[in-house]
Amino acid sequence: MRYVKWGFWLVVIGFVAVFLHYNLPRHDIVRIVGTEVRRVDFGENSIFWAAPDVGTASATSRDVRFINSVRPNGKTLVFRNEDTGWGWPPYFKLDSSDLQAQAESLISTSADPIWVSVTRYGWRSRWLTIYPNAVGLKVVPGPDTRIIPWGSIIILTLLVIVLLTIRAMWRQFRQRSIDPLFEDASEAWDDAEEGAKGWFDRFIGRK
Amino acid sequence: MLAFIRLAIFGLIVLTVLFWLVRLYARSVRREALEEDWNEAAAEGRAETTRDTFVEAGMRDYEKSLLRKLIWLVYVLPIIVVGLIIYLMNYR
Repeated sequence: MRYVKWGFWLVVIGFVAVFLHYNLPRHDIVRIVGTEVRRVDFGENSIFWAAPDVGTASATSRDVRFINSVRPNGKTLVFRNEDTGWGWPPYFKLDSSDLQAQAESLISTSADPIWVSVTRYGWRSRWLTIYPNAVGLKVVPGPDTRIIPWGSIIILTLLVIVLLTIRAMWRQFRQRSIDPLFEDASEAWDDAEEGAKGWFDRFIGRK
Repeated sequence: MLAFIRLAIFGLIVLTVLFWLVRLYARSVRREALEEDWNEAAAEGRAETTRDTFVEAGMRDYEKSLLRKLIWLVYVLPIIVVGLIIYLMNYR
């Protein structure tokens, strides 16, 4: 039973961690070397692409804007630049065209670099051909600029508050509504109660 | 536009569920606090009414309180947050 419980929570925590890693905003300091628009036919990887521009029709194939960049260490990093619109993740990004114009205005050469902090979510995977989605650009003084991830800090704090609230609600509900039921029936059901409630408690992790 | 309407409808459904959960929770916490107040008073021998009367009177006051009306913030705050995100993401 103990291993089942640990396994269960490990899987849950793993899923949550992966989910947050994909969806939370992160920052990359890069030098933009170019932008392009190319047609993408979505296949198995369609879940990793966002919505068509707000107001346009959806299809299995469309033009997607890309921002090509180089990191301070010389490695390349390609972003896609798509509207998230009203869908998931809730960045409510509607201004891909403007972001593309901004990116184009910040193109620089290695001789005279302009360092840009790109706020983005998502992963780059060569196997799946997926790209992180750029949601914001900001010029920074140098490649070593320290970026404080306020967005993630605020979101994670709110998430913890929500989880603690749900836990408090559940405890209140249990204590006030479920436990009395068990107590009323306890004379006839003593053994059954211990069995069922004990199992549930062990599963949830409470004594 | 369709996506926006879908978001609005599902958002409202989720917020309504949340609103009722918070409301029931707040009421339950309040009732528990009242019961404990009465128990304390009774233990010291200064309980003036029966437990039920005391709790019901306390709950009637609570139904009219500002604290209970603040639960409407469950609807207001997320809408403000979404508006703020849209502004910060697109118009700044």
